[in-house]
Amino acid sequence: MVVEQDRWPLRLEPAVVVKGLMHRYPGRAEPALVVDELVIGEGEFVLVTGKSGSGKSTLVSCINGVIPHLFPGDANLDPSQHSGEVYIHGLAVSKTPLHVLSTVVGTLLQDPETQVLNYDVEEEIAFGPENLCLPSDEVNRRVSEAIDSVGIRHLLGRETYTLSGGELQRVAAAAVLAMTPRVLIFDEPTSNVDPEGSAALLDLIRSLKGKSVIIVEHKVERVLPFVDRVILMDGGRIIADIPASELLNKVDLFSRYGVEIPESYEYAKSLGLNTTDTQRIASEIKRRGVSVRVKQRRMAPLKVLEAEVRVFSGERKLVDARISLGSGEILGVMGRNGAGKSTMLKALAGVLDRKLRSDVRLSVCGVDLSGGSVGERGKYIAYVPQNFDLTLVSKTVMDELTYSPRKRGVRDWRNRVGELIRILSLEEYSSSDPLSLSFGQRRRVALGSALAADVKVALLDEPTSGQDFAHREALGHELSRLAALGYSFVVVTHDSRFVWRHCDRLVVLSQGRVALDGAPESVFESSEEYGIPPPTEFHLYRRLNER
Amino acid sequence: MILGQLADSLLSWLFVLVGFTGPLVIVFGLIGLTGFVEITRFESGTSFYYRLNPVTKIVLGLVVTTISALSIWWIGALLTVLLALSFLTLNNGRRKFVFALLLTTSTVVATIQGFAPYTAALTLEEAMKVKVFHTLWVWPGYFSYMGFQHTLTLESVIYSLQISMRFTSVTLASLILVLTTTPSGIIRALSKLGVPAAVTFSLVVAMRSVPRIFEAIDASIKAQLVRGLGSRAHPSIRPIYYLEALISSIVPVLVFLLRGAKNTAISADTRAFRAYPKRTYAKPLTYSKADRVTLLLVATALVVDVYAAMHGYGRGIPYVG
Repeated sequence: MVVEQDRWPLRLEPAVVVKGLMHRYPGRAEPALVVDELVIGEGEFVLVTGKSGSGKSTLVSCINGVIPHLFPGDANLDPSQHSGEVYIHGLAVSKTPLHVLSTVVGTLLQDPETQVLNYDVEEEIAFGPENLCLPSDEVNRRVSEAIDSVGIRHLLGRETYTLSGGELQRVAAAAVLAMTPRVLIFDEPTSNVDPEGSAALLDLIRSLKGKSVIIVEHKVERVLPFVDRVILMDGGRIIADIPASELLNKVDLFSRYGVEIPESYEYAKSLGLNTTDTQRIASEIKRRGVSVRVKQRRMAPLKVLEAEVRVFSGERKLVDARISLGSGEILGVMGRNGAGKSTMLKALAGVLDRKLRSDVRLSVCGVDLSGGSVGERGKYIAYVPQNFDLTLVSKTVMDELTYSPRKRGVRDWRNRVGELIRILSLEEYSSSDPLSLSFGQRRRVALGSALAADVKVALLDEPTSGQDFAHREALGHELSRLAALGYSFVVVTHDSRFVWRHCDRLVVLSQGRVALDGAPESVFESSEEYGIPPPTEFHLYRRLNER
Repeated sequence: MILGQLADSLLSWLFVLVGFTGPLVIVFGLIGLTGFVEITRFESGTSFYYRLNPVTKIVLGLVVTTISALSIWWIGALLTVLLALSFLTLNNGRRKFVFALLLTTSTVVATIQGFAPYTAALTLEEAMKVKVFHTLWVWPGYFSYMGFQHTLTLESVIYSLQISMRFTSVTLASLILVLTTTPSGIIRALSKLGVPAAVTFSLVVAMRSVPRIFEAIDASIKAQLVRGLGSRAHPSIRPIYYLEALISSIVPVLVFLLRGAKNTAISADTRAFRAYPKRTYAKPLTYSKADRVTLLLVATALVVDVYAAMHGYGRGIPYVG
């Protein structure tokens, strides 16, 4: 373990102290978490990072008391499953009731949809103080303060179900702040939020002076500017615990453990530079003649999909876009929340909400599908919704993969399904229940199942949402392999780095219209205007191409 | 002879099919999942119902339930008509009124399908005060189940229609509560009525989950249709495939919801939920003049109904006692 705490002796009052902590989930032989000692000071900002399953969420669940009070529950606490102690401002977590802990430590979770419980914004923020039986004046005071500190006064009176992911996450943050905790945990707070929403949330976290903040995050780059310290986890153990300023010297280590590190950091490390400034890194790369990896974009003159999509909600036009897709092309579609990305995809697949009206002119592989029903369009177009688990309706992976060919009466599907199983590395799971597989495996089953019935065009709605770097990279490589075989993809995403690394073309939608369309290199030049910050790799690329 | 038996069999199956799929066609085909979401979710408004205290609306629902259960069928029917018409006063009322009518129709069809062929002759004699039945259809012997020979009579249809009036008014009164009251309003009202917080919270989470459940079912069904379910079938039997997709969606939707439920539990418990037996509220419940008038009216209706039933007027079950 790399611990460099002696480089910055902890002068702060300890806010969180972890001692000899071990937690093992029921039915698992290996502990999910083993931490001998960890101290987080009052007012300190700490980033906890690592790939999925590394123990990050288990650690924060032990700090906020969810473990052991909720899971496995106080009555079921077994010393062989949970031992050691966490202290929050002197309170022993395992011996302090959860409602008392909730006034000291607050937690913002990854998915705003499932953590917001109430109907309107004000009720949601008041929920915690009301549970504490505070007088109504005090509840209202806290609600007002939390609203101001998060900057969401304009959302007052809004129904929570009408809010975008970013807005909802900020409401959830205000609800946590209304408990006035001294320690705040943000567990992957931006994973399900669009870039603008993420930026607003990170600005909020940055502004929380005086509180101890623990941020669990895959994307190190976004939080590095304002954290004091970085903890790397893997296999339930702390692998490194270093000051944020030392990260550049350890990028190899962090990359090795699956943490998303911008390529520019890796170049800086290899060039011996102690900076993240892309201009300086680019100058040094040019000076030394270092070769830089750039994705080869596929040129796809043969169009397999051409469409004009118009979608109306009453008299309001939600989408008015013309879109095309080349053979073997991976097309990224980006835009702000509400720009019409998912609506356009649903209109193409024929699965729009009934209360929306659409006018779609669609041709796929030369076949006019403009008036086609869902089933008819499905012969040519695969559609994978964001919550792909909902598509897994069969008892085994093999049944799932053969679902579409069987239903469509496609003959000679064995070769195609066999090929998909091989490409998607699902050989050993063919008799497993799809819902029992890991996240990445389930996603591969959903993709394979969508493509199994002689379909060459696939529409993927936010397949990168909520996934760590390793999973997104795996998805990108799978799509590239399939694209090389002639499959074409439209991928709606908020992840500009994914687009940069894996897409051949990028379309940016704004207010339902195509605002930008072209190679990512050219689209990212002006995408910020439409709420899409380019990835660091693009900045490096641009600097390298400056004269 | 053989052709006649074949026609009997075919028609018998057709009636069963229509009986089973009719309510589903109404719910999924005409109301649709998004429509269902619309009539199970609160939307803000300013008309009478929205201004009532949630406690008043719960009391209204309870009184409607009691009166419908105690009284003769046409009182339930009258309440159904009045409550359905009152949907017109809601926000986007005409659309909600149509949905309410469709939902009522599906309830009536489902009740007739569920009761009419199975009601024993003795029960019909007592309830309808008749000795002679007008047979509409007799299903072949292989339809008999647990001793019931499927027979449809005009009297059994009328009796089932009357029974359905006990359900329809209660359904509409419940929908009015849900459509015009925020989940937290319901929590506060139920707490005021002494229901434990854990129970009310479960109800509120369930209410908030209803739209998510329908959206998840909708996504799962559509994903199956995209992948070819029913694509080779004649459009007239597509509802059966819709039903198949609905049943297939249950497991993935449950798994999806359970994964989210863990977050919901963490979100509530890390914000001091169940810290104390009671909670305070930022906005205390207040009673307006409209509440007092409504409560007085429903209390009067209840007293009159109970008094009338006790004295043999308009009893729900006239053949007992």
